[in-house]
Amino acid sequence: MLFFRKYGRKLQKRDLSPKHENTSSQDLISSELVKNLAEIQNIFCDTPDLVMKNFVLKQTTRQVTLVYLSGLTDKNTINNAILRSLLFEAENTDRDLDEKVAFGQIKETTTWKKIEDAILQGNSVLFMDGRAVAYEFDTQGWPQRGVEDSQIESSLRGAHEGFTETGGTNIALIRRHIPSRELKIKEMTIGERGKIKISIMYLADVANPEILQELVDRINKLKVDHIINTASLAEYIEDNPYSPFPQLFLTERPDFAASEIFQGRIVVVVDRSPNVLIGPATFETFFKSIDDYSVRWMAASFLRFMRYFGFFAAIFLPATYIAVIAFHFEIIPLKLLLSVGASREKVPFPPFIEAIIMEITLEMLREAGVRLPAKIGQTVGIVGGIVIGQAAVQAGIVSNIMVIVVALTAIASFIIPNYDMGAAIRMLRFPMMIAASLFGFVGLTVGLMTLVAHFVSLESLGTPYGSPLAPLRFSDWKDLFIRFPVWSNIKRPESARAIQRKKANPRPSEGEENW
Amino acid sequence: MVKHNKNQLTFMQYIFLIHGVQAGVGLLALPRELAEIAGTDGWISIIIGYFLSTAAGLLIIQVMKKYPNGTILDLITHYFGKWVGKIAALVFGLYFAFLASIIFIRECLFIQFWILPQTDLFILMLLLSIPTYLIVRNNIKIIARYSQLVFFMTAWMIFFYFPPLKEAHWLHLLPVVKEGWIPIFTAVKITIFSFIGFEITFFLYPSLQKKHKASSGFVIANTLTLSILLTITIVIFTFFSPDEITQFKEPTISVLKIVEFKFLERVEIVFLSLYIFVISTTVLPLMYSTVFCLSQLFGAQNHSKFVSWYLLLNLVYIMFITQSFDRNDHLSKLVQPISLFLAYVFPICLFIYVSIHDRVKRRTNL
Repeated sequence: MLFFRKYGRKLQKRDLSPKHENTSSQDLISSELVKNLAEIQNIFCDTPDLVMKNFVLKQTTRQVTLVYLSGLTDKNTINNAILRSLLFEAENTDRDLDEKVAFGQIKETTTWKKIEDAILQGNSVLFMDGRAVAYEFDTQGWPQRGVEDSQIESSLRGAHEGFTETGGTNIALIRRHIPSRELKIKEMTIGERGKIKISIMYLADVANPEILQELVDRINKLKVDHIINTASLAEYIEDNPYSPFPQLFLTERPDFAASEIFQGRIVVVVDRSPNVLIGPATFETFFKSIDDYSVRWMAASFLRFMRYFGFFAAIFLPATYIAVIAFHFEIIPLKLLLSVGASREKVPFPPFIEAIIMEITLEMLREAGVRLPAKIGQTVGIVGGIVIGQAAVQAGIVSNIMVIVVALTAIASFIIPNYDMGAAIRMLRFPMMIAASLFGFVGLTVGLMTLVAHFVSLESLGTPYGSPLAPLRFSDWKDLFIRFPVWSNIKRPESARAIQRKKANPRPSEGEENW
Repeated sequence: MVKHNKNQLTFMQYIFLIHGVQAGVGLLALPRELAEIAGTDGWISIIIGYFLSTAAGLLIIQVMKKYPNGTILDLITHYFGKWVGKIAALVFGLYFAFLASIIFIRECLFIQFWILPQTDLFILMLLLSIPTYLIVRNNIKIIARYSQLVFFMTAWMIFFYFPPLKEAHWLHLLPVVKEGWIPIFTAVKITIFSFIGFEITFFLYPSLQKKHKASSGFVIANTLTLSILLTITIVIFTFFSPDEITQFKEPTISVLKIVEFKFLERVEIVFLSLYIFVISTTVLPLMYSTVFCLSQLFGAQNHSKFVSWYLLLNLVYIMFITQSFDRNDHLSKLVQPISLFLAYVFPICLFIYVSIHDRVKRRTNL
């Protein structure tokens, strides 16, 4: 592992930045239109979607050229707001362009670097003959999908809107939940080629500045070509890349992101990715769902218990079964042992092989179901159900009990609301099975101990990941296994390390009865 | 050197760290050892041992108060000079190394004897070394978190000892002090070692968050240990007949053989598997203290290197020298005088010296 790191560093030392990056970056534009256009053509050669519209301003002889990329701009805006006003309506050319064009945001730029960036971002740039200044219009408009229900974190009662691929929209979705001037956004761009806009959102008077600084530093340190989505950003900046557990929370729900901002956590919005990153995350965050707060607290607490139970069952159930059958069959009472024995009678394999066959089949079925179109997906379910449920048992390859164990495990692993955590659990099951098949209960214990050892030493953005379990913080237990009524939860969790611990007291004042 | 400028341990972590070190592998054989000497009056010895260890522990804290921002090694360096400090680091390091190693090997022996009789001891130790390494290479804060979490994970195991109470014969405990006080006092020499491990306070004190609560924390931890020792001992004394106890090597485990549930028999296997966790809270802080002393001795910044060396040494040792309970008992008998000295006698001497030293110094200053 160290080798990869070293190799990675070596690679980073080499210059991987785009070729033409530095050639004309700081050069200023010229006042002659012809020269400018030549330069534009030089920069954007082999770019058929580049549009250069030459025209003459009304009532003057001044030549102007509007340059934009056709796919990235909104044609309506260009036609109605810019072209129409410049071609037909403008009267006094020497006045500022601001007053002539019916347009919100106009920026003046002088360097080629900025112009290049602007065009690539979907802005249109207006060159004017005789002026060494170009005008940038914010005409961005690309194909994008609307705000839809989130796919992997669906909820019953929560809001039915999910993040989209446009950073600006995502920020707006969060802002709708937090109409406060304390909601600050730090913007930065990463990726030498990708130029991805990253916005860090937080409540300035709540979020811990140290954590914020840590996050900003980590993102600033990145020297990469491109980041394809939020998850890979998370992989770049997380504390322990060799951990099976996700250390930063990915969500596609604006309501969840906003609620975490309220807790004092920090949200990173990555442009072009329909997920946002929440940090610092703790282990228990991954067992929460927004629906916990939209049903009554007792029902929510029950669900929480089920999830934690599911967590342990998904990791340890097959391993325990293997350990019991292969090593410690004396611990099960005789009657149960007899029925297990009867079901295993025909099976020629040791329990470990049996379990591995079933688990791998199940995982493949699951994965096949995820990637296939819905119509074929059903077929996979039927085939899998019949093969696993019936044929394998009848053929004597696996035992009935094993099928039950595997089915329980599968259900238990699907109950985890977060996809990353679910994936981690599904994967952790296998080392546990191996340990159990080699050492029985001792292997299980050592497996659990290793897990605990990792769990207590893991950190997320420098905050303990195990909080409020390890370190133990009973004040945070109000929202752990039992979700106490929301009005009783008046403090922000300690794990978020918020600088303002107390929330506004949501408890209604104890006034006189008024019915 | 590990810096102590950051206050790291919370009050609860401190309690469970000390308690974790105390309650461990000794608990398994304690009732038999007591019964051999003091019969069913052995529980009185536990209480006497408790008071002695509490006194010693409080004395340790009093000593540490004189130099609150350093471990015992820094304190000794401060009072006696650099070389004595180095020697102290060596002594403490070796002591903790032997203690941890003996307990670690004993843990493996227990596992081999009770759960996996056909597995090689070396393999077992290799297996246990994985989580051990993962934890001990971190700082004391992580170990404290581990101890704390494990305490709450395993505290319910005490309930395994309530079903045998149905068969308890309380008459076994009577009459109290049936053979006079001498056997009871003789048995104290066993019980004071049940509380051994509290000398880790020497190393915990500087990283404690609320130092004024150090004493009460220590008493709470010690009382917790006492209550667990007492509960288990009394359950066993009332369950077995007085002569029968001595026939079992580890009555603490044997007593569980009668516990049965509708869905679970042979509870002792499950119990012992989980008990590995409890033992780990003894071994890990001791190992941490070992590598801490060693890194102090060699002036190394990072102690994780020593952890792997130490574990490797243990593995080599266990590979070439066949282990048995007898050898292990013998070794622990050898370490006991050192424990007695470092945990009980040494704090007294140090306390006297430091008080006199400070008084003399104050007088000269006046």
